[in-house]
Amino acid sequence: MSLPHANYDPRRVCLNPFPEVDFSKYRRTVGVYIAGGLFALANWLFFDACILSAHAKTPWGQPDTPVPVHVTFVDWIPGLCSLLGYLVINLIDKDRIRGQDGFGDPRAVWRARLFLFIGFALMAGGVAGSVTVLVIKYIVPDHAEQFKYYGYANVSQNVALMLSVVVLWMAQNSSDEYEYNLTL
Amino acid sequence: MAASIRTVVFLAMVLAVGFLMIILSCVLWQNWLPLLVALTFVIAPLPNALFSHCGADEFAGTYEGASGPIDLGRFITAMIVTSGFALPIVLAHAQVIHKAACIMSIFGGGLVYGTILAYSAAFSQEESEFD
Repeated sequence: MSLPHANYDPRRVCLNPFPEVDFSKYRRTVGVYIAGGLFALANWLFFDACILSAHAKTPWGQPDTPVPVHVTFVDWIPGLCSLLGYLVINLIDKDRIRGQDGFGDPRAVWRARLFLFIGFALMAGGVAGSVTVLVIKYIVPDHAEQFKYYGYANVSQNVALMLSVVVLWMAQNSSDEYEYNLTL
Repeated sequence: MAASIRTVVFLAMVLAVGFLMIILSCVLWQNWLPLLVALTFVIAPLPNALFSHCGADEFAGTYEGASGPIDLGRFITAMIVTSGFALPIVLAHAQVIHKAACIMSIFGGGLVYGTILAYSAAFSQEESEFD
């Protein structure tokens, strides 16, 4: 019997009222599925805004005024930043970050951490950039709610990409949790 | 044996109902874009099936599972499934297709994908009996 220690802790007084469901077996699978779903959701949110913009009609009740704002390349930049960060983060060898002592090159660990930093900086830059676009392009000129949606979709896209990469990272590290006590 | 045949017939009927829903959602409004949903859900399990043989050995299974290709397959599958649900919503939001067509095609697509999932689950169960 190689049950974890917590299952028959002799100091425990109360019974655990929750049924024993072993999620750790499927954690990696479920995490990867959720990450993929979030990734697609993020991009569909943004494409929704793009399609709406391409089909945009005039503000409600004013048929003569032209459409004030469209989704342009500026709106794509935060998403592209996030996608680049996504790639960078996922290209890193996860074992390098941990840096076991006496194994491998310490400078490689340093470089891997630098890459991780660059990746997360790109993703955070994507989120910050999307908020910037939302504020400068949509909120400050005070467009109709119909057009502010483009900005909200952009922010949602980048936040969902960030969530996706975090879920993926946690899922891919979870299989090693018995051997390593990861503090990342 | 009879039970499995009944299951197969039932699943085939569900699949047919799913496709019927999708095709109805196209026909009723003379707009054939929702048909893409059927295509999306049909190719959804494909990456999973392709990449599942790229892993180490099958006894490692989901517990070890520390292989990139399998994860990539799952990632792409999840992406395609989400796209299948998102596509009609986006189309309906852009007023390209009718709202009812959107709901019908999502429902039909869910039935189609559920059929595929249930079918593969039944098959893998039968395979494991002979291990």
